[in-house]
Amino acid sequence: MMDITKLTAYETVKRIKSGEIGVKETLLSYLKKIEEREDLIKTFILIDRDRAIKKAEELDQLEHKEGLLFGLPVAIKDNINVYGYEATAGSKILKGYVSLYDASVVESIKRENGIILGKTNCDEFAMGSSTENSAFFPTRNPVNLEYVPGGSSGGSAACVAAEEVAIAIGSDTGGSIREPAAFCGVVGLKPTYGRVSRYGLIAFASSLDVIGPLSKDVRDAALMLNVIAGFDAHDETTVDIKVDDYLDILEGNIKGKKIGVIKEVMDFEVQKELKDALESSIQKLKGEGCEILEISIPYLKYALPSYYIIAPSEASSNLARFDGVRYGYESDGAYLREFYENTRTEGFGDEVKRRILIGTFALSEGYFEDYYLKASKVRRIIEMDFENAFEQVDALILPTTATTAFKLNEKKSPLEMYMTDIFTIPVNLAGLPAISVPAGTDKAGLPVGVQLVGKWFEEALLLRIAHHIEE
Amino acid sequence: MYKPTIGLEIHLQLMTESKIFCSCSTEFAAKPNTHICPVCIGLPGALPVLNEKVIEYGVMLGIALNCTINEVSSFYRKNYFYPDLPKGYQITQYAIPLAKDGFLEIVTENQRKMIRIEKAHIEEDSGKSIHTGDITESEYSFIDFNRSGVPLMEIVTYPDIESPDEAYEFLNLLRSIARYLGVSTGDMEKGALRCDVNISVSKDEVMGTKVEIKNLNSFRSVKRALEYEIKRQTKLIEEGRTVVKETRHFDEKDGTTKAMRTKEELNDYRYFPEPDLPPLIISGDFIEEIGQRIPELPNQKMRRFIEDYSLSIDYARSIAYVPSFSKYFESIIAFTGKPREVANFIMVNISNYLNETGKDIEEVPFGKEEFKELLDLIDSKIISLNIAKNVLDDSIRSGKSPSEIVREKGLSQVTDEDTLRSMIVEVLKENEMQVRQYLAGKTKVIGFLVGAVMKKSGGKANPDLVNKILLKELETLRQ
Amino acid sequence: MSKFDIEKVERLAGLKLKDDERERIKRDIDEIINYFDILKEVDTDGIDPLVYTKWTRLTLRNDEVHTGLTLEEIKKNRKLFGNNFFRVRRIIGE
Repeated sequence: MMDITKLTAYETVKRIKSGEIGVKETLLSYLKKIEEREDLIKTFILIDRDRAIKKAEELDQLEHKEGLLFGLPVAIKDNINVYGYEATAGSKILKGYVSLYDASVVESIKRENGIILGKTNCDEFAMGSSTENSAFFPTRNPVNLEYVPGGSSGGSAACVAAEEVAIAIGSDTGGSIREPAAFCGVVGLKPTYGRVSRYGLIAFASSLDVIGPLSKDVRDAALMLNVIAGFDAHDETTVDIKVDDYLDILEGNIKGKKIGVIKEVMDFEVQKELKDALESSIQKLKGEGCEILEISIPYLKYALPSYYIIAPSEASSNLARFDGVRYGYESDGAYLREFYENTRTEGFGDEVKRRILIGTFALSEGYFEDYYLKASKVRRIIEMDFENAFEQVDALILPTTATTAFKLNEKKSPLEMYMTDIFTIPVNLAGLPAISVPAGTDKAGLPVGVQLVGKWFEEALLLRIAHHIEE
Repeated sequence: MYKPTIGLEIHLQLMTESKIFCSCSTEFAAKPNTHICPVCIGLPGALPVLNEKVIEYGVMLGIALNCTINEVSSFYRKNYFYPDLPKGYQITQYAIPLAKDGFLEIVTENQRKMIRIEKAHIEEDSGKSIHTGDITESEYSFIDFNRSGVPLMEIVTYPDIESPDEAYEFLNLLRSIARYLGVSTGDMEKGALRCDVNISVSKDEVMGTKVEIKNLNSFRSVKRALEYEIKRQTKLIEEGRTVVKETRHFDEKDGTTKAMRTKEELNDYRYFPEPDLPPLIISGDFIEEIGQRIPELPNQKMRRFIEDYSLSIDYARSIAYVPSFSKYFESIIAFTGKPREVANFIMVNISNYLNETGKDIEEVPFGKEEFKELLDLIDSKIISLNIAKNVLDDSIRSGKSPSEIVREKGLSQVTDEDTLRSMIVEVLKENEMQVRQYLAGKTKVIGFLVGAVMKKSGGKANPDLVNKILLKELETLRQ
Repeated sequence: MSKFDIEKVERLAGLKLKDDERERIKRDIDEIINYFDILKEVDTDGIDPLVYTKWTRLTLRNDEVHTGLTLEEIKKNRKLFGNNFFRVRRIIGE
């Protein structure tokens, strides 16, 4: 008998629509997989079997099987609102908060008849690169349980890798989709900033946050992008630029496309297998008739400090609403100030507190110019670097990470952890679309990812190129 | 002599249907927490979307305040913790406001004066905290978020104001302008207009220490608080003590200001650009189009009433500042002429009627036709001005036309000289003492005698004729 | 001397760390802030800060009223008091 959980999302929908498999049948296969693996991997914060089964039964009754995601189980990162479900963003401070509205992406998924299966674990407020910062439990890498799945969308990456769900939604502020995708051996797409609505995504850093899919292959990423991309009247930062049919353009050749290799990447220490994987991807592209050019992003190394000022600055303000008054965790105190301080100090984890403090400092009187403003100017320079690069090439290729997954509790200092994002962060600062695709394994058998970066709003070409290099 | 230096910070609620960043209703006095949504109570993940009407109204007000409208302006976050501030920050304009560098010209005691406006920007209001009992002693405060996200325009003046009267007049004019434009009701009791003041006093050119006063609930409070504060600061300086830079609360009950008892709060709002809202770009065409929709404003109207109609400043202002009054006034005089008489009737008789009945001027059942009739009765000397006032009062209340009332009540003026002369002769007999005084050169008593004749006639005697005949009779007596 | 006055920043941030926690977190943050110093190498004279990408345009909403949350929904997250008010501890302490 066929194992439905081995199918891609695209294949699953196709077979459901053809009547070959049922919606409930599909769902039950996944639920069985979850039962087998979940205790070890712990990817979900919430699973609603009953509601999912009820929805599946309803869909099975329908005569017309409409919707791009018809009958497909989808997992949603827990920092995204789904009406009626708790949304904790991996934080104790949101324990007990029940979403009173659907995020725009969730609305789109429901409209296309996808089935929301549950909420996935993540680093608290998406701050982290290993999912160890979840207030509830760490998620493990399905490839090797001693290793982290990456983060912050570690739950979403791991549940796709473990075949517990067909496709998952994550968010990426500095690499939070691409890094866990690379660590778990799945595809992770971070669309252009403004391509997908953030409405309903619990904000970490508003000028950087982007929602995107984690999937088994590039085609599935294209499928999900078809569902979630586009202007949204609820999000003033979405952009009204034409959305392509990403499935339609996936095939087609990439002959003559110019691909840039960033010279400065090699200034960083990169694990050998990752360099090799990059090289073999480059060779593949050459084989497809692409022209490979060396280009320069001179200010690449300043991306990390710029990001770690801007993101915490915005976060310090975004997280001010968690005061215990209207929802979520509440402590007590004799008077208001004490109540706030107790609620927030008990409710936030260490990494979140660190970033709130850094961000508050960076915006405070006397330091604003030297930190927030300086970092925002450097951000402009980095964006200009990319703009120059894209005058010469159609896409860039670089490793997603400098190393493969690390072990739980292996990274010591916060700064050491921040360095994990050196190749993903610059892309967020510039707001560009990027995708991480699996490119083999290292000698320990851990997945390796290669990252492609496209021009603003040109996800179509990006996906096509990615489709050509994926295995 | 100590000279006060005063600056105002005014928050005007723009009268949109929905809030500034979400579609919740702005209805006043709704049940607590019934006009709220994910955006205005700061649920995680909710995002602001700007209301176009706020921009339209903001631009309109900015132009009316003679400001330069910035074609590109931006939104910032002002960060601080307060329980009625759901997001932990207020979205406001900071680096580049919607409007800047304006002025209003006010008139006080026949003096014109320019009050410069530094800036006018749009922002969201916070919710409302309700403290039962003493803020320092009650165990809890209660929060209603219905107001959270109501659109405001903050107007900041330069410290050009030099007296409580000027402050009062500035507010009065500003509110009137907002009402003419239809952008705000300016009702202080409904929180649609709030005002904080900054005041210092100084004997010379060196500026004194600035004190901020809050909790001003009416224009009168603003005036009273300033008067009190001028005295307080002057006294401190004269006694050789220093004025402390602080925020004080006005106490409505005893008319004093009191230092606010707060723990030292760090005032560091950490303003930074609101990443959820790209800059607001307004086209020059839009600004021009809005500018063309601005009607004649109350200060222009007032000037016109004074110059063209010779109204007193008080009457001109009172009529010009209330859109419904001036509309009524102008519709009548366009038909009848005689603006001074009409203004007088409106400010005395009709105002009284409105006060008594609580009605609006639009509901007054005395239109241009009735006015014309009344003025014609005066013109043709059928009734005197005094009688006319009674007729007007009667007509509004009974619904009868002025001529009907004059006929029914027999109010026609007595113009028959013989009748008047016989009345006058009687009056002179009854008031021999006054007659003697008059003949002895104390001509002032003439007024008393005229009054007595008018009284005898039941107010119907034609005063000019009475005067004429009375003088003649007195001269006869002298001889 | 570190420029990062953690107690002042805590107060602005609505946090109050325990002493041992404060020491540890301050050490981490000092290290991070020192790392930021490399930005000084970048000449940013005449550069505009980047907050919004060049594609974003503010779109305006029509001034229309839509119903928001019901009291029942709000109560799923917090108990309301009196005539459906949120309740907080008294504002001024000590």
